[in-house]
Amino acid sequence: MAQIAKQTKRRRIKGDSGYGYAFIAVALVVFAMFTAYPVVSAFIISFQQYKPLGSEYVGLENYIASFNDKLFWKSVYNTIIYTILTVPVALFLSFAVAILIIPLRKKLQNIFKAVYYLPAVASGVALSVVWLWIYDPMASGILNRMLSVFGMSNTNWLGSSSTAMFSLVLMAWLSSHGTSIIIYLAALLGIDESYYEAAELDGASFIKKVWYIVIPCLKPTTLFLLVTGVIGSFQVFQNAYLMTGGGPDNATTMVGLLIFNNAFKYFEFGEAAAQSLVLAFIIALISFIQFKYLGKEVEY
Amino acid sequence: MKKRMRTWASVFALTFALTSITACSGGGSAEEGTGGTTGGSGQTAEAKDTITALLPPVSAGFQDNFAQMEKDFNALYPNLTLKIEPASWEDMTQKLDTQVNAGSPPDIAFIPSGSIAKYVEQGMVMSIDDIATQEMKDDFDEAPLEYMKQGESLYGFPGYMEVHGIGGNKEFLEEAGIDYKKVQQEGWTYDEFREAIKKGVVKEGDTTSRYGFVFATSGVTSRDYLTILVKNAGMPSPFTTDHKFAYTSSNFLEVLKAIRQMIDDGSMPKELSSVDAGKRWNMFLTGQTMITGKGLATFENSAKKNNEKLEANDGSAVQGSIPVEYIVLPVPTFAGEKQQASVAVDGYVTFRGKKEPTEEHKENVVKAAYFLSSGKVAATTNNDLFAAHITDSGREAAKEMTIDRNPDNVEAVETLLKQASPARPDIPTELGAKAIKLEDEVIIPKLQALIAGEITPEEMYEEVKSAAVQTFGEDGVVTE
Repeated sequence: MAQIAKQTKRRRIKGDSGYGYAFIAVALVVFAMFTAYPVVSAFIISFQQYKPLGSEYVGLENYIASFNDKLFWKSVYNTIIYTILTVPVALFLSFAVAILIIPLRKKLQNIFKAVYYLPAVASGVALSVVWLWIYDPMASGILNRMLSVFGMSNTNWLGSSSTAMFSLVLMAWLSSHGTSIIIYLAALLGIDESYYEAAELDGASFIKKVWYIVIPCLKPTTLFLLVTGVIGSFQVFQNAYLMTGGGPDNATTMVGLLIFNNAFKYFEFGEAAAQSLVLAFIIALISFIQFKYLGKEVEY
Repeated sequence: MKKRMRTWASVFALTFALTSITACSGGGSAEEGTGGTTGGSGQTAEAKDTITALLPPVSAGFQDNFAQMEKDFNALYPNLTLKIEPASWEDMTQKLDTQVNAGSPPDIAFIPSGSIAKYVEQGMVMSIDDIATQEMKDDFDEAPLEYMKQGESLYGFPGYMEVHGIGGNKEFLEEAGIDYKKVQQEGWTYDEFREAIKKGVVKEGDTTSRYGFVFATSGVTSRDYLTILVKNAGMPSPFTTDHKFAYTSSNFLEVLKAIRQMIDDGSMPKELSSVDAGKRWNMFLTGQTMITGKGLATFENSAKKNNEKLEANDGSAVQGSIPVEYIVLPVPTFAGEKQQASVAVDGYVTFRGKKEPTEEHKENVVKAAYFLSSGKVAATTNNDLFAAHITDSGREAAKEMTIDRNPDNVEAVETLLKQASPARPDIPTELGAKAIKLEDEVIIPKLQALIAGEITPEEMYEEVKSAAVQTFGEDGVVTE
């Protein structure tokens, strides 16, 4: 009886399933090492005062310190504002560009796709340097010079609390929509032509076609881009780090930057781990709400 | 065919997985062979040993000399190998911090002495008190050596002690009627300085074509601005000798008022909060400011090199720049306090790994740190930087080297070094860490707001005072 069972098991592994296991092993090993292990480690460290020569268990101290820290809540607020201002506009711009590109010939479409995707392959540091140049505070700065044509006096874009956040938001609006545009284009190509034909027979205008055909058909794509956009936006770090360093007066300190500072500037890995887990919880909660309320009519 | 494809795909997949595992585990074993993690096990003094050093481009030609340094060290100690890992200034801290937190730092790293405290807190720096010979210690000037201490322990050797002052354009200073030689020798008060920089302003209609004073204050540079000024306002350290937080004193408010006044006078640009180090140096070379900060002695060299390029019609000269003669100037004093120059002491700090290094390895690390911080290496580096020599052996080696410096600047730097604010190894690391966090999270952000004209000096002072009391308690801060 036992021998039959052993033979069956061997046969099962020898068949297609053996290869299947081998293939998923790669993803599993990579996931275990680079995602699961760091998450578990972060969870453990969040209850410790981390030191290379031996950490000390401190219970909930890191969480309590984070919740009592005004700067933590300010950074959460800044991140939420940044997300609210950037994600919807970025989605709208990507959608609009995709709609404008789709009627073009294939060759021209490819050229536009490449042009819009270019910032995604460019180094974020290089882009930031260009933007720093644009935001030069003196009258000779590019943006200030452009605005002076309309009689506006020069603005201290990144050095003033009133304009620093807007400057980062403007930077996000005007760069890196390439991926979203390509995803929208792929989704637009997937809409059956018969819908448009039927609408034309009914005399539907362009706007009506977009409203009643395109937008509903792209709902799964929009939901996907919204969820990933919000997640990405909550984890924003590079722009604030390179452009403003979180200043002035912590007006652009995002949670990601705060976590980085706590970990690598002050070596408070425990507090940084606790804050990153709180951030993960906030992101998970928002994603859940998005799926619950926006994903109701979405079919996959 | 299908079977062969599957087999190959499986082989590739497993190879990839194994590579990932090897990549993660390999680093540790490689470091064990060289760095402070093991530091050689059970060697004798003559046994072969490798010392690792993580070094940034301390001076322009520093990293080009690494191969020669390694060779010279090996010639001096044939059983020892010095392995230098170069790092850019930008990467240096992050690279070192990652290695420290992984428990495998290099044996030696070139870092600011102000960073020693945080590594002491981590338990990852190696005290060399008992290992460094008296002869080695005696080679160094006392003041910079003190900066390498935390508590009673010595954690490495200093590379240089640089004065952080301000610098002026000789032609513009003379045009404004400022007797810079007198200022270099006797210093100046804030009121004298304020009047002088007003005279340096040149206007074309409503537009200012030249400011009296431009100091980099964007991002982290604002910390330098404040630190340099408050030292001359009777606060050479954030803590008094009885360990009370000093930035709550009324003199601190005087400095804040001065910071705002200089902008409101029009002597400094209203966009100052966005001026970074590169921008203000560009403004200095292009004649857009009479005085710049922070100023380092090496700027005389940078200005000279740009002048040579201009003379030779070299296209790599700074665009729009003019010939400039750089003059070292002291920072003004505030509220009748004495001049105390801000100095930066950076040096070769000695680290340890998770495992306790052997005595032999410790000795070898000290030999390497001393080799790098003294004699010919130190003389070459400090000459490159136009920095003063701080070792007898370095001074001796420098005698054979020629250097073209303005004698007035040399004298001014020497005067300022004599007035350098003393090291404070007595400040407990925990207290120091609290002060750094307070500076980062309250003082610097509020300073940025003050410079941007969003809050008044009084509002900033109250914010700092309240945060300081919260951090150190009522009894832990200065009240007068």
